[in-house]
Amino acid sequence: MTRHYNASAEAERRIDPFMISVLKSRFEAIVREMSLVVMRASRSAVIKNARDFSCAILTYEHELVSVEDALPIHVMSMETATRPLTEFFDDIEEGDVFLNNCPFTGGTHHADMIMAMPVFIDGTPRFWAVALSHHADTGAPTPSTYLPFAKTIFEEGLHFPCVRVVRKGKVLEDVLRIGSMRNRVPELWLGDIRAQMGACRTGTRRIQELCGRYGEETVLDFVSDWFDYGARSASAAIAKLPKGSYTYNIMHDPVPGVAEDGIPVNLTIHVDPEAGEITVDARDNIDCVKAGLNLSKNTATGSCRIGVFNNLDSNVPHNEGAKSRVKVLLRKGSVAGEPIHPVGTSVATTNVNDRLIIAGNAIFSRMGAPYGQAEGGSHQPAGIGVVSGIDPSKNGRTYVNQIFVGYSAGGANHGHDGWLTYCGPANGGLIQLDSIEVDESMYPIVIEERGIVKDSQGIGEFEGAPAAYGVFRPVGHDMTLVYAADGTTFVPRGVLGGGDGTGSTSVRLDPDGSRIDLPAIAEEVIPDGSKVYFTACGGAGYGDPSKRDPKRVAASVNRGWMSRQRAEAAYDVVLVDGDQPGLVKVDHDATVRIRASR
Amino acid sequence: MKYEVCIDIGGTFTDCLVADQNGNISIFKAPTTPGEFEKGFIDVLQVAAAGYGLSTLEFIGQISLIVHGSTVSTNALVERKTVRVGLILNQGHKDMLVFREGPRKGAFEWKLDYPEPYVPQNLTCTVPGRIDARGNVLTPLDEQAVRDAARHFRAAGVEAVAVGLLWSVVNPAHELRVAEILTRELDGIPVTLSHEINPMPREYKRVIAAAIDASIRPIVQTYIRRLEDALRDNRFAGELLLANCVGGMMPVAEMLAKPIFSVMSGPTLAPMAALALSDAPDIIVGDMGGTTFDVSALRDHQVIITPDSMIHDDHLGIPKVDVRSVGAGGGSIARVDEGGLLHVGPHSAGARPGPACYGKGGTEPTVTDANTVLGIVDPDYFLGGKMRLDLEAAKTALQKVADPLGITIDEAAWSIYTTANHNMVSAIEEITVREGINPRDSYFVCGGGATAIHIAEMVDILGLKHYMIPRYMAGLSAYGGLISDIVREDNAVFLTSDAAFDAEGASAALATLVERGVAFLDGAKVARDKRTFEFAFRGRYEYQSFEIEVPFEAPDGRITQDMLPAMVEAFHKMHERIYSIRSDSDIVEFTAWKSRAIGQRDGKRLLDRQSLPERKGSVPPRSRRGVYLGPCDDRQTLPVFNLEDLGRGSVLQGPCLVEGGTFTAYLKKDHEGVLDGQGNLCVEVGPASEKGNRK
Repeated sequence: MTRHYNASAEAERRIDPFMISVLKSRFEAIVREMSLVVMRASRSAVIKNARDFSCAILTYEHELVSVEDALPIHVMSMETATRPLTEFFDDIEEGDVFLNNCPFTGGTHHADMIMAMPVFIDGTPRFWAVALSHHADTGAPTPSTYLPFAKTIFEEGLHFPCVRVVRKGKVLEDVLRIGSMRNRVPELWLGDIRAQMGACRTGTRRIQELCGRYGEETVLDFVSDWFDYGARSASAAIAKLPKGSYTYNIMHDPVPGVAEDGIPVNLTIHVDPEAGEITVDARDNIDCVKAGLNLSKNTATGSCRIGVFNNLDSNVPHNEGAKSRVKVLLRKGSVAGEPIHPVGTSVATTNVNDRLIIAGNAIFSRMGAPYGQAEGGSHQPAGIGVVSGIDPSKNGRTYVNQIFVGYSAGGANHGHDGWLTYCGPANGGLIQLDSIEVDESMYPIVIEERGIVKDSQGIGEFEGAPAAYGVFRPVGHDMTLVYAADGTTFVPRGVLGGGDGTGSTSVRLDPDGSRIDLPAIAEEVIPDGSKVYFTACGGAGYGDPSKRDPKRVAASVNRGWMSRQRAEAAYDVVLVDGDQPGLVKVDHDATVRIRASR
Repeated sequence: MKYEVCIDIGGTFTDCLVADQNGNISIFKAPTTPGEFEKGFIDVLQVAAAGYGLSTLEFIGQISLIVHGSTVSTNALVERKTVRVGLILNQGHKDMLVFREGPRKGAFEWKLDYPEPYVPQNLTCTVPGRIDARGNVLTPLDEQAVRDAARHFRAAGVEAVAVGLLWSVVNPAHELRVAEILTRELDGIPVTLSHEINPMPREYKRVIAAAIDASIRPIVQTYIRRLEDALRDNRFAGELLLANCVGGMMPVAEMLAKPIFSVMSGPTLAPMAALALSDAPDIIVGDMGGTTFDVSALRDHQVIITPDSMIHDDHLGIPKVDVRSVGAGGGSIARVDEGGLLHVGPHSAGARPGPACYGKGGTEPTVTDANTVLGIVDPDYFLGGKMRLDLEAAKTALQKVADPLGITIDEAAWSIYTTANHNMVSAIEEITVREGINPRDSYFVCGGGATAIHIAEMVDILGLKHYMIPRYMAGLSAYGGLISDIVREDNAVFLTSDAAFDAEGASAALATLVERGVAFLDGAKVARDKRTFEFAFRGRYEYQSFEIEVPFEAPDGRITQDMLPAMVEAFHKMHERIYSIRSDSDIVEFTAWKSRAIGQRDGKRLLDRQSLPERKGSVPPRSRRGVYLGPCDDRQTLPVFNLEDLGRGSVLQGPCLVEGGTFTAYLKKDHEGVLDGQGNLCVEVGPASEKGNRK
């Protein structure tokens, strides 16, 4: 069944307008409840603390109905992960649950286990309840879920290419055993898988209750109206944009042995305000690289959409109807397109993928102010590396997990400075920072410092957010740290006159006082006694710095994010001592004189 | 000593409910007096004294117990009128309150600025000195750095200091030493230590609680001292207990030491009222005011506590009775967006200008305007006739909704009414589903002045079978403080698991709680035979971060090895109830132990003595009026009853309207209300409730 999403204001309304609001809220509440189950019932830190998971409800025909607090990269192309299920299986029954983490069957990358449960209403499958979690380990050759140098899937973790794990309510323990056997932390993996099952069951039950209460026909009519509303809202938002075609080019950092000069990412969009449509064309990109940096079809499709939705009013609902107004063009065999089996896609959710989203965010600035965003920081600095080792305090038990000590900062947009806790463009600022005490109690590490790097942001009428830095070290053992700090060479760039943010750095501090620069992309052993020092990217600025509101200039200084000297020089503003020790305020008359003289 | 009193200071009114020695309850109100709340407190006691024909001194001298809830600290926080706080953190962690754990935002929402930290950078000082996860000192405390910080705070005019050092919860030595130095250097300025105020290992939540506590400490302390002085001047000789945010009460000395526990202490008394009003296991309490709808819930007849409440852009840090607010009050504004979708709230016309029908210059369509147009609210009998509403102004405002949707004014009013109902229903569902309560099996207790207008529709949407419109609905919180038991919640951290269960250790933790509970009940002069203890543990599967609370029985306050299987099974069951899964083979960890020391107040006895004269059966209505009840129907003429005409056992058949002095209630078709002996309207819903709303 192919549904038409009617963006016209005269489209037929099947149910009362208030019922659309009602059922919209209901579906959102269901997804929120599913998310709570995943977060609270999961075991590994990357899920329960950092919230690297997402839940969604799709129709059985794979149309996105509702997401809440979900990571954009997980859900904007969720349909690619469920569609193969109805192609592979002709015996899907009530109570079944499927697992898909294979990029060649619509998954994002090997660490994102996508669990989908069909929702039957009176014997007919009507919806999918989906819970995606980023697992701590999937049994890759090295202790990480991000392997930039993994050329093919044979060097990655285990794939479940659309595999049934529950049959009519009965868990297929033999299938799960395949996953837990090939895992460094099997109890965590199974606990996290069960949490996802809890979320899918909860979602299924709630949707069934909803249909019981309002009638199946009303709910299905709602879905049609809701998609029309999404199409209408997206179309209205696109209609306000200037017509034209725009292009943006950006580079991922050099990758030794893979791409010595970096990996270019090119993007073109065609904006058609009359039709209320945008076409995102990512076909003009190089072939797949011999590494894990290639995108999956899922992430490439999603990322092309994310840039657009980041630039439309955030009230536009993120459902199938809205998505239908954004056409995506990909090339098979391209690094930023559709990969061909068996190329590596281990880091398909970050790195090159981040660059594609950053291009999508920034490309709108080609329209001039007030459109678009300055470049935000890319992934993934040592501050969110995967740490592993043998815990000397826990009888030599292995630990492995991604930590979130500090991550990249956001770029500015017209009207607002960048968002500090950005964590790369794929996550929409939704990944939580680790608690230092929780990290230190779970892993044998000490986090000596975590803070903000003064003067690291790009200047502009609106400023990027400053960079985060940190210092951490292993306790009583040698710790392995795996990361891929894109943004070390090619830093976030400003738009429309805005300045650049600073890049990532990765340094080892040895006991003798020496500072050893570490590679940008590496698997490093940090010996007992040594420390890791990292900085993540600072966000870039938007617009002409001389237009920045002097009050915002003083606020950046008072917040401790910018030195008084840099502020005065960069913005042609005169600052004087404020009303409290350590605060400054603007000398308005002097500022007006200086700005007039330039 | 003849009287027991509860005083709840709200935004507009200070409510006072008094029970005399015969168990008769009376309600008194006086205007709230911001800036000197203790004045309104004494004012309302004067009003009550007059009500009993006594002088103020005579009346106050005969009060044995005052339970008090207030919004003193909540107001200070909400209006950002807190004192200037200095913050001391570890070197290398100056930005702890800037980062938080990453503030929440919408995924595609970028048109926003990053929130400012609770304590500004210039008032945040760091000091060398570091303790690790096991309590070992990695770096000794630099005392000179603390003295330098004190000097800086003095120059900056700081009025209170919060200290938040890493791992103080394991080894508090550095925090204690910092406090000593600051107290000496800053002449006894109040200092809040994170490990004392919120002993949990998760630094942001612990430290933000300390910072918030410091920022209201002088305000709360000043208020409580002035209140004590005023009571002493009036020869008060009874016990003063302060309601706290975790569903219990604290003696004055304890609140002075932990003022953050006074936040939202008034509204948390509403679920306490529901506890006493109904025996139902699962209860929803909804309180609709002018700008918000506050909802809370009881599970297994227990108040639900949340660890996640927010103040502006920050966590409160400490647990609090789960009271959620949504922007769905009488003043909530309706608008139609570009896609043709109707939104109601969260923006509100507030009290000024208020809804259009108030005639005070409001022009935006609000929920109260819709209710007036529908005819549910009588423009000539609003608040018992104390205020007249402008029906024409309401209609003019509603045109803004009717025109873009191409519907009539009546249909627009109905759409607003229904949308507001559904917004409130969503808030109810969020709190209930999150806590594993099926709203359909729950009882609903109404609070606040406006809830009874909307309750009937909400009940049908939720599928509820019964609800209550209490006699003292408009002052439900104060009522709660008057009739509910005296309760002290307490908890102790003690880690063990079912793999190596330390019954002795757990028992010792429980013994400490019982000891403190007994001291509290002694202080409140609760008789021995009126004392009970309830226990719960917080548990999780190994490697989980979030615990769930599981009640258990410990008849003599001791835990023994043979209790373990039942406790573990109770945990699995609760986990399955909340998360749909259980993992029988996994290790269950016990992290904390909770107790509730309860002094029975004979709230039930009080209730039972409140008896209305009997007046069984149907009662003639005072009048009839036309009400618009949805697009399928024409305006229906409904009977209007007055509460004064009803007695115990009076029966009201919906559809009908009920007018009280402080509220209007609407009962739908198939809703049957019976007045109980205390004057509460208990409504049962018949079988033929409507489903869906298809065109």
